[in-house]
Amino acid sequence: METDKLEQLRSGDPVLFAELVRDHHRALIALTVPIVGISEAEEVVQNAWLKAYQAIGSFAGKSAIRTWLGSIAINEAKMQRRQRKRELLFSDHGDENQNTEDGLAQRFTERGHWQHPPAHWHTDSPESLLTGEQLAECLERLLAAMPDNQRCILEMRDASGLSFEEICNALTVSASNARVLLHRARTQLFKLVDHYEETGEC
Amino acid sequence: MLSCRELVNHADRLLEDDLSFSARIAIKFHLLLCRHCRRYVKQLRRLVAAIPFMHNKATDEEVHKIMDCIHSHRNL
Repeated sequence: METDKLEQLRSGDPVLFAELVRDHHRALIALTVPIVGISEAEEVVQNAWLKAYQAIGSFAGKSAIRTWLGSIAINEAKMQRRQRKRELLFSDHGDENQNTEDGLAQRFTERGHWQHPPAHWHTDSPESLLTGEQLAECLERLLAAMPDNQRCILEMRDASGLSFEEICNALTVSASNARVLLHRARTQLFKLVDHYEETGEC
Repeated sequence: MLSCRELVNHADRLLEDDLSFSARIAIKFHLLLCRHCRRYVKQLRRLVAAIPFMHNKATDEEVHKIMDCIHSHRNL
């Protein structure tokens, strides 16, 4: 974020803050759903925005703004869960009925060499790689079908940039399990984008 | 030598620069010889950079709801 914009945000500029809400609100909802459930996520994120607005003057800009907001939202979700004495919805055990296999497992020979190597991807910019109209629909379906524990780690680590330490604290999951779940989630996404870049369909 | 399958399993840690010296050497050596894995790592890096942008922007209604809530707390 540019220094001027950051200064304006820190001074509590409501227009810039509304832009922040527009850009990050959906990601924060996705981040908190696995902790408090879909019915409470909206309330939790609303409280997180209030806290963020009150604390924006102290945002140093050392981490990405999404990571800073993500940490506030996670703390808010944990607090709500404690207050309501709810069990954590997250489980680091794979559900036998869900797909827990590495998304790229079928792409290798028995000896572990590429049988179907990755295609060349034409889209360069991070902003547009996952947002093409058709791909965005497929991505939504993939995320909806993804086991909750994999999606949860993907949202926390890759979408919000939280550290493994924060993730392990929030979810009481071991770092090694978190890494396995993240790997599975990423390979599913890789497979989807690779197929789309190769064929134009998904 | 490391197989491509094993390299893919280690690629997440490679991106985070979280590998032992010997594992890093084994991966670098494999990448030197294998263009498919070079492409995999390059594109995985690109994918991870794109994930923060995968969520849609909030609607006007959602933004107004949050901003109204903030304004009402400021006026308390």
